[in-house]
Amino acid sequence: MIPMIDWLIFSSLLMAVGAYGVLTARNGILVLMSIEVMLNAANVSLVTFSAYSTELHGYPDAMGQIFALASMTVAAAEVAIGLAIFLVLYKRHDSIDVTKINILRW
Amino acid sequence: MAETATAAEYFGVLMPQILLLIFALLCPALDLWLKMRRGIAYWVIIGLTIVGVMEILALIPETQNLVPFLFWEQPPETSIFAVNAFSMVFTVVFVFVGALVAFVSPDYIKRERNHGEYYALLLIAVTGMSFVATAGDLIVIFLGLEIAGISSYALTGFQKSVKRSTEAAMKYFIVGGFSSAISLFGMSLLYGAGGTTNLTELGAMGAEYGPIVLLGIAMLIIGLGFKIAAVPFHMWAPDVYEGAPTSITALLAAASKKMGIAALFKIFIVALLAYKAQWDLAIGIIAILTMTVGNLVAIQQNSVKRMLAYSSIAQAGYILIALPVWAVYDPSSPELVRISEYAVAGGILHVITHAAMKSGAFFVILALTVRGFGENLKDFDGLSKRAPFLALAMAIFVLSLAGIPPLAGFYSKFVLFSAAIFGSSEPGGASWLVWLAIAGILNSALSLFYYARIIKSMYIHNPQSQDRIKVPPLIQAAIVIAMIVTVFIGLYPEPFLEGALEAARALNGLLPIG
Repeated sequence: MIPMIDWLIFSSLLMAVGAYGVLTARNGILVLMSIEVMLNAANVSLVTFSAYSTELHGYPDAMGQIFALASMTVAAAEVAIGLAIFLVLYKRHDSIDVTKINILRW
Repeated sequence: MAETATAAEYFGVLMPQILLLIFALLCPALDLWLKMRRGIAYWVIIGLTIVGVMEILALIPETQNLVPFLFWEQPPETSIFAVNAFSMVFTVVFVFVGALVAFVSPDYIKRERNHGEYYALLLIAVTGMSFVATAGDLIVIFLGLEIAGISSYALTGFQKSVKRSTEAAMKYFIVGGFSSAISLFGMSLLYGAGGTTNLTELGAMGAEYGPIVLLGIAMLIIGLGFKIAAVPFHMWAPDVYEGAPTSITALLAAASKKMGIAALFKIFIVALLAYKAQWDLAIGIIAILTMTVGNLVAIQQNSVKRMLAYSSIAQAGYILIALPVWAVYDPSSPELVRISEYAVAGGILHVITHAAMKSGAFFVILALTVRGFGENLKDFDGLSKRAPFLALAMAIFVLSLAGIPPLAGFYSKFVLFSAAIFGSSEPGGASWLVWLAIAGILNSALSLFYYARIIKSMYIHNPQSQDRIKVPPLIQAAIVIAMIVTVFIGLYPEPFLEGALEAARALNGLLPIG
């Protein structure tokens, strides 16, 4: 069996990749994908803790997997609304480069 | 092991949320089939009023038996909902702000299409917020945050033809998604350490899971810090508040931010009880930074909408004082328990007063926008001669935000700062808490500087023209209601403080015993 720590390292790396993507990507769709990667990193960690709960706490616990299912549903809704926002953005600003769209600033 | 709740019990305690959803789902139908415009707003106001009255009846001891189904007998360890005075007070605040937004919307968005969707999303956002306040479980908190978040992204971009609005929606979406993902990761770490997602059971977890919970605390501070726009996670807020339709700005500042506060109270006070020595200083520093930066940057603003956005960042800093002061909680000393309740009550009271005065201030801007004015400070020149009522209302709201005595804002700030002073002077308390009170008082003085600029421009400068400004009656009604609440809480704070204390006791009641 793969040790739990490997899964946790994998999930942290996924989280870091996603956060790096959100902070540096210029294309709106890439930002959207990076947010999805971050949400899925959290899901991996939830499922890991749930799968190893017998070793960790002495009793099997499925709440983490339920949490992951719920958050996948949320992620799907978030993609839908995100794509809609970027579509409107493209119509108004002729671009989805998130660094070029800055009317609002001090 | 207690018995599990029956389906009828779940329907009973979730009646407010179920009603809100039914009203929400019928909004598009009213728009599509009955071609209603203004009618949908009345429909939304009726729904929100029913729910608000229900929750207020449940809060007053004499009338509690009128709504027996709202009372939840389940012990918090076995239940994913915690229906108590805390959830009721917060739901009343969200419903109140939602209803005021419904009052001002018909005149503000009359040139846009898709009214049905607008009101439906408004109600769904309020439902999500009340779920956060009702949550007894990390899953419910996360889902509530997301329900409210996703509907407010769409509402922010509601004015599809306005460049500012679409840009604000994009920024809000990116920041919102980023912060939800980070808070979800933080919640997963708490789940890993505690082996449960129930808040009360998490609170019983020992202090032996140091590093993993510390990482979780850091992630949750970042994630929820973005939600409540605490410094240094505040950069998105002024842009989004300025670009969003003004009615939605009021919703974001007065209700969405309070949802983040409710989640913060629930997670840090209940679930992270054993780690309070690890988070109190961090949140104290964030509170001081938040109020100082918010006020300092607000001074330089020329757009009143943006100025109020920064002022609402500063107000979140005042509310955050409640958390480190709560951390003096020690079940063995009744005096410290009382101080911790008083601090959280101060936070909740400031949530209530801030909801009334901040939404009122945004509605004054909205009333001017409807008549074709801009949002800059010079558009307010001589307002007292052209629209005496609007000028008086704005003066009351900003004076209350600054904390001038007979108004609501003074009283809630007084409770917060005095709680910090009690917490520092009581034996067993933490002496550094007094700095929170000092920072708060200095910041109130600092904030008076820019609030006074608005009043000076309205009452001393000469108007650009002499024409009277007529305000549509529904907007006027919303401003009057916000004004009455602001003045009334200032004059008769006792029932509101009693309600806030009741809510704080209910929150402490979720803590694991022993």
